Amino acid sequence: MSLLTVEQVTSGYGDMEVLHDVSIVVNVQEIVTIIGPNGAGKSTLMKTIFGLLKPTTGAIQFAEHGIDGLSPDRIVRLGMAYVPQVENVFPSLTVRENLEMGAFIRNDDFSDRISEMFALFPVLERRGKQQVGKMSGGERQMVAMARALMLNPQLILLDEPSAALAPNLAQVIFERIVAVNETGVAILIVEQNAKGSLGLSDRGYVLAGGCNRFTDTGENLLANEEIGQLYLGG
Amino acid sequence: MTILARIPQLLVYGIISGSIISLGGIGVSLTYSILGFSNFAHGDFMALGAYIALGLFTLLTGLGIPNTTFGPLSFGFGFTVAFILAIGLTVIAVILIDRLLFRRLRRAGPIILMMSSIGVSLALRNILQFSWGPQPHYYNQLIQPAILIPALNIRIKPDEVFIIVVAIVLVVLVHAFMRYTKMGKAMRAMADNATLAQVTGINTDRVIIWTWVIGAGLAATAGILAGIENKFITPELGWQMLLSIFAGVVLGGIGNPYGAILGGMVIGISEEVSTVFISTGYKPVVAFVIMILMLLVKPTGLLGRKN
Repeated sequence: MSLLTVEQVTSGYGDMEVLHDVSIVVNVQEIVTIIGPNGAGKSTLMKTIFGLLKPTTGAIQFAEHGIDGLSPDRIVRLGMAYVPQVENVFPSLTVRENLEMGAFIRNDDFSDRISEMFALFPVLERRGKQQVGKMSGGERQMVAMARALMLNPQLILLDEPSAALAPNLAQVIFERIVAVNETGVAILIVEQNAKGSLGLSDRGYVLAGGCNRFTDTGENLLANEEIGQLYLGG
Repeated sequence: MTILARIPQLLVYGIISGSIISLGGIGVSLTYSILGFSNFAHGDFMALGAYIALGLFTLLTGLGIPNTTFGPLSFGFGFTVAFILAIGLTVIAVILIDRLLFRRLRRAGPIILMMSSIGVSLALRNILQFSWGPQPHYYNQLIQPAILIPALNIRIKPDEVFIIVVAIVLVVLVHAFMRYTKMGKAMRAMADNATLAQVTGINTDRVIIWTWVIGAGLAATAGILAGIENKFITPELGWQMLLSIFAGVVLGGIGNPYGAILGGMVIGISEEVSTVFISTGYKPVVAFVIMILMLLVKPTGLLGRKN
């Protein structure tokens, strides 16, 4: 069953068109990766899905709602969360305060959800009172993911979660992504350096020059020689 | 009296004036970090509060509310009621200004917002001048005996003790609000990263309203306290203090409310102590020189973050 459907979306910044008729689908509880070279329009696609950019043409459906043109705070309420590539935490707030902000629109007691997040990201529990600005890149990425998960979203968008992380740390983040997925959350990942990410994905899309190029299962994309040479560094 | 012997007394004056500058500075700092612009109308919000208090006080006195003073203080029940109501009315007026003007310009960028705040500043000052005239107005004309503390070689009036106590209580309350309440945390989050705050689902418009509630509330308080200390108010009251307030905010680290408190105190004390060495007329120069030196040496201010 499809959760997110992006249909022939054209989008960009002002007059500069970055995406041309891009279509993707994310099904319930799936992990989907979008790969492509720098400038392929991956981040633009994320921002367009999440309402930070308005598509000029095309339609976006999420959980049976048309969401193109909605503002991010409306989309959050429908059950989607977004982790930007950079500046994705509140640095002067503590870990716990970052999670509380993730639950801002909840008026009930969300302490259980915070415990669940600490179970999913055990490193964060000991650091609950630490200012996030003083933490390492990998830890910040976990704070950002936990913050995005506070509202029990059905889908979470991750923009280059392993960027700027050492390979072993990137591996830790990917393990956590699988663990998050196992709690029933669908995940849409954008990656430039995408071998690790495709390996754990159900399906993948290749985006280049703002257009759809290929789509297949994660395994097949990894095995495809042409894609390997063009987009995965051989 | 030797120069050194005058310093304790000047420190007391500095702390009083620093308390008022700090209360003004917290609002400037919050507006800068959360709404993203330097608000040149902040001093006039102070004057607005001072005049609303005057108007209400006159009204209440006319209605026959007794004016017996509280103990050694120069004011009583009627003025206290006017004081508190004036804070609320100033907040409402400032939120209206935000809805009518600043909100429409939110996307236009910091320079446009700053320029429009200069317009608000001129308009408010002239409205006050039009309504009450340019001449000074008095909350009261009582002569209040100062308390002598011979051990420290200082004199301080009961009203001045009141000013310092009010400033301390408000600073503690603002700290508790920012640290422990959901809205306070959301204000800090939005100051960190407004886009992420929106993406997280934080109601940024409500955060902005709360920013004005605190900023304008403290501005009105500072304006009224300045009126109590100076014994009179003029439409220029806040505008004249704005340079000291900006200097304090820059000194402490722009965007950091704790920096604004520290910086305001340092500016207040420096201005007063400087009068030992130079003419009183140069007080604004002292604030300006400190601000420029800080910008040259460490532009992020005493408590400012890097980046």
